[in-house]
Amino acid sequence: MEVLKRNNVTVSGAADKQPMVFVHGFGCDQRMWRLVAPAFEADYRVVLLDLVGAGQSDLSAYDPERYRTLDGHALDVLAVIEALGLREVVFVGHSVSAMIGVLAANKQPERFARLVLVGPSPRYINDHGYQGGFERADIEELLEAMDSNYLGWSGAITPVIMGNPERPELTEELNDSFCSTDPEIARHFARVTFLSDNRADLPRVQVPTLILQSAHDAIAPRTVGSYMQQHIPSSQLVLLDTSGHCPHLSAPEATIAVIENYLAAERMHLV
Amino acid sequence: MSQPDDELPELDLRLTQENLDDLYENAPCGYCSCLPDGTLVKLNHTLLHWLGYTRPELVASQGLQQLLTVGSRLHYETHCAPMLLLLDRVREISYTLRCKNGATLPVLMNAELRRDSDGNPLVLRFTFFDITERRKYEQELLRAKAQAEEQREQLARANELLTTKNEQLTRINADLDSFVYTASHDLKQPINNMAGLFGELKRVASFHDPEAEPMMQMFEDALQQILATISGLSEVVQLQRQLERVPAEEIVLQPVCEEIIRSLQRSDEVAAQFSLDFAAAPTLRMARPGLHSMLYNLLSNAIKYAHPERPPRVHLSTQPNGDQVVLRVQDNGRGINLQRHGHELFQLFRRFHPEVVGSGMGLYLVNRLVHQAGGHVEVDSTVGEGTTFRIYLPR
Repeated sequence: MEVLKRNNVTVSGAADKQPMVFVHGFGCDQRMWRLVAPAFEADYRVVLLDLVGAGQSDLSAYDPERYRTLDGHALDVLAVIEALGLREVVFVGHSVSAMIGVLAANKQPERFARLVLVGPSPRYINDHGYQGGFERADIEELLEAMDSNYLGWSGAITPVIMGNPERPELTEELNDSFCSTDPEIARHFARVTFLSDNRADLPRVQVPTLILQSAHDAIAPRTVGSYMQQHIPSSQLVLLDTSGHCPHLSAPEATIAVIENYLAAERMHLV
Repeated sequence: MSQPDDELPELDLRLTQENLDDLYENAPCGYCSCLPDGTLVKLNHTLLHWLGYTRPELVASQGLQQLLTVGSRLHYETHCAPMLLLLDRVREISYTLRCKNGATLPVLMNAELRRDSDGNPLVLRFTFFDITERRKYEQELLRAKAQAEEQREQLARANELLTTKNEQLTRINADLDSFVYTASHDLKQPINNMAGLFGELKRVASFHDPEAEPMMQMFEDALQQILATISGLSEVVQLQRQLERVPAEEIVLQPVCEEIIRSLQRSDEVAAQFSLDFAAAPTLRMARPGLHSMLYNLLSNAIKYAHPERPPRVHLSTQPNGDQVVLRVQDNGRGINLQRHGHELFQLFRRFHPEVVGSGMGLYLVNRLVHQAGGHVEVDSTVGEGTTFRIYLPR
């Protein structure tokens, strides 16, 4: 199906169980879930995808107009859910995709059972009475850092088929292309991500939500986690004693445990 | 050919053997080791010296992330840190270090993640290379790239505008042609009727007024002139339509000219002399009907506007001129006062010798045909001596 190809959707786990959709954050792709997602394959239908413009997605589908805001990506997530006929979705989104999940769930709340937001931030730039952690100039600096890191980008990184043991050079190439994408797209997506302001969308969330935050996260400081928890009506905040913006990589076991506990507790609640 | 270590030639290795520490501390690159979360464990002297920190200010209390500018830190957290945890290494990452005094230092960073025997992340090792000069050059490149990009966009916009204008002009041109065609076609019928009625009138009517005879003649002349104009107009349009269907080709001039000269001499009472010299460039590139019409108009003009006191002599020659060919048509006719008429020489219906019958179509047509073939026309003329046309056409 067109949508599944466009977003490089991979499905694993128990086909008849509740679906869990994992969406990666800015700067990487679905492979960043590989220490966490397999743990849920026994009890869930695990769906992974690449945002258009990232990983092995269809780069030619990246229309700057459609992806001018995060809404374009939220519509993509809904299209994947629709294409697979998913209901009662547990949505797990990291970083910018946490907000993409919020937008998707606000558009079609009936599709979602739970939101798990890993290291989310509704706005990265400071505002009156709001500490996002960054100034606008910092984001310009990030764009510069990206520019100087794309000098060697060849433009020739083509989608590579995974799992080809006869051709080890493909795996090597895959590693080289890991978390890389077209520099123009990366630049545009960085702008959209770090200049977005989705604070107004938080009070509209109707789906029970877990906010999972690393205790020491330079991208989403603790104040942002609290802000999220205060403004999403039915939400819990869990701080993980780890560093960095990717607890699912730096503390995968703890991340799995917190998500499992949350989902189990919520299930109890339902019964 | 490689030799085992114990067979190395006898060298005094004491210096290097004794100074592994020195090699680490004062290496020509910065080293540091960190816990998996980035906490600094060990830094070499080179790196500390670049940054302006002392060891106790950093070790165990600061992370590598704090040594980066905010932009680099954002990139590290979103891109580099996940890659290290998943692939155990990153290569050639371009970052900017923030020194204690606020200054910045552009570096190229390589990093490796070492794992313990259980496969858990143990320590991160980083090397940094000072790329101050290279960064300047790269920024120049980026600037040039951005500039080129902008120019490309400007060009694309200009091109788009031109295409639109071109389409507009093509449309207007087609509209004009069909207008001229319709007009000449619609005029032809009533004028023909007038001519017929006038002929009949001349035959049956008789006038008593002695001035009637010259007036009849003047009416007749005017009628002929209108007929000539209308047939000229139809010719322009028909030729245009013909040219749209016929592609340009390489045409040998000699036989075409000879054929036109024959047809002209047949109808001409005064013998005109033609001389042809196409040795230097025997062919011209044009659509055949266009070339024929152009030559016909030029040559018939040369005869039509011959000087009344001498027989017409016309010399045709060609000459290669860079990527063009020049066709010269030189006559000894009446000449045109270019200072007075030059600017309207090629306009439709402009006449410069009212004493000679003509439609004012010939030079308009010549100029239009040459332009359509991608060339242009130049004229020299001296009143009473003659005129030279030079037709420049692409090869």
